[in-house]
Amino acid sequence: MTRVKRFKWAVLLVALALVVVGCGDDEAEEEPVATTAAPATTAAPEPADEPDEPAPAPADDEDEPEPETTTTTAAPPPPPEPVTVRAAITGDEGTLNPYTYISGFPGWNILMLQYDSLMQLDAAGVPQPWLASSVSVSDDLTEWSVTLVEGVTFHDGEPLTSDDVAFSVEFYTTNPEASRFARDFRGVADVVVHDDYSVTFVLESANPGFDVVALADAPIIPRHIWESVDIPSEHDFGGTNIGSGPYILTEIAPDQSYRFAANPNYFRGAPAVDELVLIIFADDAGAQAAIRTGEVDVIFERIPPEQIDLLDAQDPLDVILGPEFATQMINYDASLRPFDDVAVRQAINMAMDRQDIVDTVYLGAATVGSPGWIHPGHSVYNPGIEVDVYDPAAANALLDGAGYADSDGDGVREFDGQPMSFEIITNASDSLRLRIAELTVEMLAAIGIKTEVLPVDTAVWENAVWPGFDVNNGRNYQIAMWGWSPPVQADPLRLPWLVHSSLDRGFLNLTGYGNAEMDELSEALAVEPDPAERKAILGRMQEIIAEDLPFVLLLYPDGAYVYDSSVYADWEFIAGQGIVSKLSLLPPSARP
Amino acid sequence: MTRRIDLRRVAQYGVVVVVAVTLNFLLPRLMPGNPLALIAGVDVGMLAPEQRAEIVARVGLDAPMWVQYLRYWGDIFTGDFGFSFRSSRPIVDMILERLPWTLLITGLSLVVSAVVGVLLGALSAWRRGTKGDLSMLSGMISIESLPSFWLGMVLVSLFAVQWGLLPSFGAVTPASDLEGWAHVWDIISHAILPVTALSIVGTPGVYMTMRYSMLETLGEDYIRTARAKGAGERRVLFGHVARNTIAPVITVLAIRLGFAFGGTVIIETVFSYPGLGRLVFEAVAGRDYPVMQAAFLVFTAAILVANLAADLLYPLIDPRSRTS
Repeated sequence: MTRVKRFKWAVLLVALALVVVGCGDDEAEEEPVATTAAPATTAAPEPADEPDEPAPAPADDEDEPEPETTTTTAAPPPPPEPVTVRAAITGDEGTLNPYTYISGFPGWNILMLQYDSLMQLDAAGVPQPWLASSVSVSDDLTEWSVTLVEGVTFHDGEPLTSDDVAFSVEFYTTNPEASRFARDFRGVADVVVHDDYSVTFVLESANPGFDVVALADAPIIPRHIWESVDIPSEHDFGGTNIGSGPYILTEIAPDQSYRFAANPNYFRGAPAVDELVLIIFADDAGAQAAIRTGEVDVIFERIPPEQIDLLDAQDPLDVILGPEFATQMINYDASLRPFDDVAVRQAINMAMDRQDIVDTVYLGAATVGSPGWIHPGHSVYNPGIEVDVYDPAAANALLDGAGYADSDGDGVREFDGQPMSFEIITNASDSLRLRIAELTVEMLAAIGIKTEVLPVDTAVWENAVWPGFDVNNGRNYQIAMWGWSPPVQADPLRLPWLVHSSLDRGFLNLTGYGNAEMDELSEALAVEPDPAERKAILGRMQEIIAEDLPFVLLLYPDGAYVYDSSVYADWEFIAGQGIVSKLSLLPPSARP
Repeated sequence: MTRRIDLRRVAQYGVVVVVAVTLNFLLPRLMPGNPLALIAGVDVGMLAPEQRAEIVARVGLDAPMWVQYLRYWGDIFTGDFGFSFRSSRPIVDMILERLPWTLLITGLSLVVSAVVGVLLGALSAWRRGTKGDLSMLSGMISIESLPSFWLGMVLVSLFAVQWGLLPSFGAVTPASDLEGWAHVWDIISHAILPVTALSIVGTPGVYMTMRYSMLETLGEDYIRTARAKGAGERRVLFGHVARNTIAPVITVLAIRLGFAFGGTVIIETVFSYPGLGRLVFEAVAGRDYPVMQAAFLVFTAAILVANLAADLLYPLIDPRSRTS
């Protein structure tokens, strides 16, 4: 009996270990459900992996500080029959206040249905006054003055005033767990309240993009609710969130659903959709099945390329497409041999058949990448950048000329006496990115560089490319598939973040790249008041990127969303941000 | 049985608990990855270093490992596991919200697969070697090799998408305001597909155990003796075979009951069912240490209790194990 018992205990321990380990193992098979974590995205199935960024956008003029004044429009009459929209999301979003929402997309977008920011992006992605009736900036770009719309109230009837604006800035800054909003207001030296409806932000240094980065991004929270809050992320607000936005959260069923009622007193007019129900799915396949059965009316996530035609063909479903400025790229550690040699980086750039990737992986639902980083549809795009650079013969000649020969005839070139053989790390949960990585292996093999795909779990991949989300920690990879969410590109003033060699400015410089001229241009860009001049600087920066290749940009996935047009069809696609916004749910007359 | 043996058993359980708790603490922290972005969003990379340090301090991750380990023991004794990094909600609430849903589908499917598996297993063994036995055996082996996510997707596409008979996701109809029997039916109709999927994949294991255990018993001398004494088939089956066969099956079921608390990541994902499996999966993917620690503890406790139950049940079922 003792022997049997001992064996049983062993089995028990193994069983326990399996339970624990099993949880880890499952990851490879299953799409992780929305984590805020990952810093990148594809257009498709996995909105999970999105950096938490505001989404400004391309549009016709760059986000210049506009001294002009726009007044708000009057409310239209509410629609006769109550409209309920059931929207699918993939992943829980916590209690949906500024400290507890989870994902950058669609979490932030849903958060902003309950709250308002001082400015709001219009369909072109340009910030327009919103809670503000006017916004103006001083010539030196350090003082931003805002006049508020009068008579706006929070959901509990209390008025929204300059005092709440100043309080919000202070609260976010002293409680940095809401890192997105703490970052928005990093660099604000003072907020001067002139009276109930006018306030001035005094910045430590010039910031021409303050309207996009901060004013159109951070929700204004009510002082009377939050001033007594001690630990914001853990505070119990009693089930609802008091904002000023068009929707009021009325019910949360954790991991199941959220229920929102329209705010009839919304200052821009009552929303067109009277009730909004968000249904939480574990993965996008479940959400797609549910929109086919009519159990949901819209999916608040991008749909994968292979689903676009299938879903669009089904009546009454429709698919809306638009530019999102998300990116798919190849990162390498440019501080390491042989990637510190620009010839190697240029050869990799020329080896990539971008059109082939767009066609085979995205089935055409993406735009071929410009080696200069900026999307050809963007207002600051430099048309002098050559996009069609695929030329494996020239890449081979370049590597031959730079002395990377294949001396042992095994089909792999050598550098410093070692074979040019590298690992491409990528997150296994993103099937599109994995397919791009596999094509990359073939394309690099054609120029004598041997690579192997290393698919890992999202947290491992992030930690290799961006350890601790702090570039000061260095890098632990050779080649990585990477991507940034739309805001990083949509707001071109963030370009220095990617390429500045000084790590307190280049806090998204994940490739260890440095170039003196680029640093100078980055600094000039930050203080240049004239939009035309800024565009010229950005044009030169694109030239350097296309030549010097701090990373290899492959493509820009397009945004695609599916909805049931028989239930609600007035969806508004904000360039760079998609359809999940208050604009989509307000009557067209109330949109900017 | 003497007192001494009981104390040894208690000590054994104690050792397993300490080892399991220590593993629960260490494994999340040994995984590569950083929970900072989960706590504060990826813009944490753009904060000032002192702001970042403040966030780390607020969740207690700046403390030395051994202090965090002792805190975990403190949590276990106070039953307060703090707040999730990911959703910022109290972890005890999160687990208690999901546990009933998980137990509903895993519990029901355990009952179904136990009943079906034992009956078919007994039938199969009783008719060993016949065409019926062999075809059932090969059928069960094929079912066992079905991937559960595939089975779940087939059920969804047939019963929900094609025929529209049952809901395709969730535990209840969202925002439906149903009450009374309508609410009960709503819950049942949502549970049918996941329970069916779990029962199908759960049955072959029980069937196999029952069949082999019974075949072994049927070959024992005392069965031959009973038959030689002229005992009827019914008396042989219920009086001699069944009782001696059921013990290994009870062990299998008890262990499964323990695992039932863990939920089933795959089935809960396919049906978007709000159970513990999904919670733990998301916690692991995002490195949500406190949720992982608390949930693993629930699993540990459930498996230990199930094992204890099996230990205690054994002597009742099988008199031979009462004397050593």
